Amino acid sequence: MTDAVHAKPDDRTLVRIRGLTTVLNGKTVFNALDLDIPRGKVTAIMGPSGTGKTTLLKHITGQMRGDAGEVRVDGLNVSELARDELFALRERIGYLFQNSALLTDFDVFENVAFPLRQHTKLPEVLIRNIVLTKLQAVGLRGAAPLLPSELSGGMARRVALARAIVFDPMLILYDEPFVGLDPIALNQVLKLIRTLNETLGITSVLVAHELEAIKHVADHIYLIANGKIVAQGDPNTIASDGSSWTRQVLGGEADGPVPFQYPAGDYAQALGFKQGAA
Amino acid sequence: MNTRVDHGNSVTQSLAQIGACGLFLLRILAAIPLSLRHVRETVRQLWFVGAMSLTIIMVCGLFVGMVLGLQLYHVLAIFGGTSASGSVVALAIYRELGPVVTALLFAGRAGTSMTAEIGLMRATDQIAAMEMMAVDPIAYVATPRFLAGLIAMPLLCCVFCAMGIFGGHLVGVNWLGVDNGTFWSNMTSSVDVWQDVINGVIWKSTAFGAVVSLIAVFQGYTTPPTSEGVAYATTRTVVASSIAILSLDFVLTAFLM
Repeated sequence: MTDAVHAKPDDRTLVRIRGLTTVLNGKTVFNALDLDIPRGKVTAIMGPSGTGKTTLLKHITGQMRGDAGEVRVDGLNVSELARDELFALRERIGYLFQNSALLTDFDVFENVAFPLRQHTKLPEVLIRNIVLTKLQAVGLRGAAPLLPSELSGGMARRVALARAIVFDPMLILYDEPFVGLDPIALNQVLKLIRTLNETLGITSVLVAHELEAIKHVADHIYLIANGKIVAQGDPNTIASDGSSWTRQVLGGEADGPVPFQYPAGDYAQALGFKQGAA
Repeated sequence: MNTRVDHGNSVTQSLAQIGACGLFLLRILAAIPLSLRHVRETVRQLWFVGAMSLTIIMVCGLFVGMVLGLQLYHVLAIFGGTSASGSVVALAIYRELGPVVTALLFAGRAGTSMTAEIGLMRATDQIAAMEMMAVDPIAYVATPRFLAGLIAMPLLCCVFCAMGIFGGHLVGVNWLGVDNGTFWSNMTSSVDVWQDVINGVIWKSTAFGAVVSLIAVFQGYTTPPTSEGVAYATTRTVVASSIAILSLDFVLTAFLM
């Protein structure tokens, strides 16, 4: 297991991050981060909460820009793109939000049809067929007339997934895709991610905590902590890795290199059991 | 000393807000050509901020006209001039009360809902989702609402004025016995279409519509994505709109007269 990435740039890399440094509110989120996402593979980003996994996705999509370094997607330096170029790139990227982010004024059908209506002039029949196909893929064709407020969290996530894949993008970014899914839906989503990857060659990036689920779908895992990559490899390598980082993050141990407690003063003193308590 | 510093900070922040609001207006105007692709959204918003505000505008217009007719009748009766009540009611409504009260009601009814809706869209990542789907949220969310407010306000103001004059007529003629012919003839002879209706009703209410819609959309779009942030933004919409309407009313009146 390595403590840093030494991947060489080549055509098989869809996302290439080099020397990414980001400081938010005085906290260093990324410290000269190097990371490669290979084309046509499923890559998982794991790490403790607050370590910047979602922030990393925002850098890839140009929602955020780092203080130093560069992020290249399909050869394009995201931070240097003009707005039109960035939007053109985003049309080729699907993004599954942590909280689904469905448009609450529209029903399920219209939510999935929204990108098609905005960017194409396809006939209504074709839009209908594409939308129903995507909804069928996530098992929610029957829910097409429902409003987002009528969906459970897991259903909303599947609708958001259908919307993210409606254009058959080159890259899909999944932010916590397994949260709130029941075992049946979880299994179907895992199959869907794998199927999209295998049949259409779509590159997938997953941000998740569930190692067991990730094992079934990911080709490569990056473990991020303290602003850098602390471990990487295929799921079996990561699972059997004995480093303190992987043991703590994947084993859920409170003690280890990642502090469970947010920095605070003396506990006994805070409770008034020691002199000098406030 | 601290108070002076705080005042300085709040003035600086207010100026920064006004500057940011001005830049936001430029973004909204620049997005008008793109938003023409979303005409359905503009029509939907027009229905929401215009048609859905009709009830409150009509009811309030009626009662403002009625109370105006009642008050003016008793004041004019002292001088034996009750026959002029029709013209005074019309002038007061056309020149000031119509545009100002409509704008204040519009800010309370439509402005707050615009702010809250956009603020919640931001809090639930809907704005970010649009950005990620390569849809410009300014063109899809902000500009249609701004245009809807701009179009709806003069129309609502016309409805308010009509209901106000109807209310004044109801009280003055039907209740207190002012002659019907005198009421209307005095009104038509004293009201100038250009000065009172075009300047007073149309221009003022269009300006108020632009200001209220801009403030409402800006506050919603820039609110922190929290429930507290949305609540504060909604309040700020009402406060800032009210101040802007009344101060702009003075400026416009001074110029238009």
